[in-house]
Amino acid sequence: MTDNVQPEAPKTEKAKRPIEILRDRQGGMSKELKERFTEQQRIYKAIRAALKAGPKTVPQLAAECKLEPPQTMWHLMALRRHGEIVEGAEENDYVVYRLKGA
Amino acid sequence: MPEIRSRYDALVIGGGIAGIQAALDLAEQGFQILLVDKYPSIGGVMVGLNKVFPTLDCSSCICTPRMAEAAHHDRIQLQTYTEVAAVRKDGAGFEVQLTVKPRYMNEDACIGCGECELACPIDIPHEFDYGLGSRKAIYIPHGNAIPQKGVLMPEDCVFCGKCERICPTHCIDFTQEPQSVTTSVGAVVVATGLDITPMGKKPEYGGGRLANVMSPLQMERVQSSNGPYGRVLRPADGKIPRSIAYVQCAGSRDRSIGVPYCSRVCCMYAIKQALLLRHYIHGVDVTLYHMDIRAFGKGYEQFYRRAMAEGVKIVKGKVGRITEVDNYDLLVRVELLDADDRVVERRHDLVVLAQGIVAAWNPKGVIDLSVAEDGFLQRPQAKLNPSYTTMEGVFMAGAAAGPKDIPDAIVEAGEAAMSAAIYLYRTRGRAPAAAHVMAH
Repeated sequence: MTDNVQPEAPKTEKAKRPIEILRDRQGGMSKELKERFTEQQRIYKAIRAALKAGPKTVPQLAAECKLEPPQTMWHLMALRRHGEIVEGAEENDYVVYRLKGA
Repeated sequence: MPEIRSRYDALVIGGGIAGIQAALDLAEQGFQILLVDKYPSIGGVMVGLNKVFPTLDCSSCICTPRMAEAAHHDRIQLQTYTEVAAVRKDGAGFEVQLTVKPRYMNEDACIGCGECELACPIDIPHEFDYGLGSRKAIYIPHGNAIPQKGVLMPEDCVFCGKCERICPTHCIDFTQEPQSVTTSVGAVVVATGLDITPMGKKPEYGGGRLANVMSPLQMERVQSSNGPYGRVLRPADGKIPRSIAYVQCAGSRDRSIGVPYCSRVCCMYAIKQALLLRHYIHGVDVTLYHMDIRAFGKGYEQFYRRAMAEGVKIVKGKVGRITEVDNYDLLVRVELLDADDRVVERRHDLVVLAQGIVAAWNPKGVIDLSVAEDGFLQRPQAKLNPSYTTMEGVFMAGAAAGPKDIPDAIVEAGEAAMSAAIYLYRTRGRAPAAAHVMAH
């Protein structure tokens, strides 16, 4: 067995990878940032899935994803900036968005 | 990026349009200039504006060449993402302590390809879009940024290391730390610019609380072709607004929020935005509620009349309250200041608060300059030497001295540069070193 294995000694700053040095100096991710990141992944997944089913306006997306419209708008515009979403026609004063290539 | 040298003829604090102009005017006279900006790019507020009044020139199109000129000038050293920590009088000159903030990348090696941005998995509200758009934890500040170099915000980082792995020039360095550097200069120009009154200062207007109550700088970004939405839409739900209201004096001429003065430019930027909205959205209703219109500059009155002729509604009235009704629409309660003096409630899709201008920087703890009651730098010789501060050898330009429009900021920057040049000639008793070199 491994009874003789010594616990790993804490890494010195020299032995750490550069990203580990930054993470340690920052004290890791803040609670707020962790929550934002997790929530963001969930919202992006929901928006992508809803648009896969067909083009939608922001209120339609919000209703389908069970999100607040302002929250939907911000994340949709972030996905647009990433190049994942494109504008379609207008429908009753709202722009219809679809997945790029769909 | 070149090392900060031990001596310069002048330090210019702030890389907005006034600071850039002051640096250029001094450099063209042969002086060696250190131009410091606390942000990762120079350009200040102007580079983020959509168009300028009354000419409707594209703001970044006329600002960017000046930014590039300063960045490439032989006698200007650009020092972005750097704070001025202390300026102390040392004889006729000054000892300056700077804190160079870490970009977490080797600036010389960064080619501005943006691969790090694409790899970064998190989106954060972008300061350049006043929160309406997004950026990554590592990013190039914006499309017109100078320098076109990345910067990492460690507080937004998820520590995945993807940016480092994908960088084609291996320029990312997570181990960087702030650097303290000392230099000496013969004169200082303070061009630290403006801020706008906080959105929450007038809670009855719902700024910062109601999604469709916007700041004028947010509207600048929304109207910009490289803005967060690519067109004019409501932040709440992406609706194309059909009825938009401007609330004038929403952060100026108001003792209750400590801003008793007129911010000078709000009437004109609101008229400009209102006119452009008429161009951008077919048939849109744009109403400007005001106490009185102050169109103070050359061609401004004509511009105001043009906006009215093109359908912008100008209503004399004081807005008392803005509330959200169904579907994120807004109900604006206005006391009309016309013949009837009625109080009415009008429904709008979107409201822009014409916020006032306040000083962006307080010198306390950095340099021993006096600040006036209004928060801007004190002008001891307001009439005859308007760029003079309370310290000999330190001059001010642009909105550091008080609210003003772009042409006035540029004129004052030239005046500050000339005053600094005269001070340098007088205290040194000779022309700048570079001028001698050029003469040979």
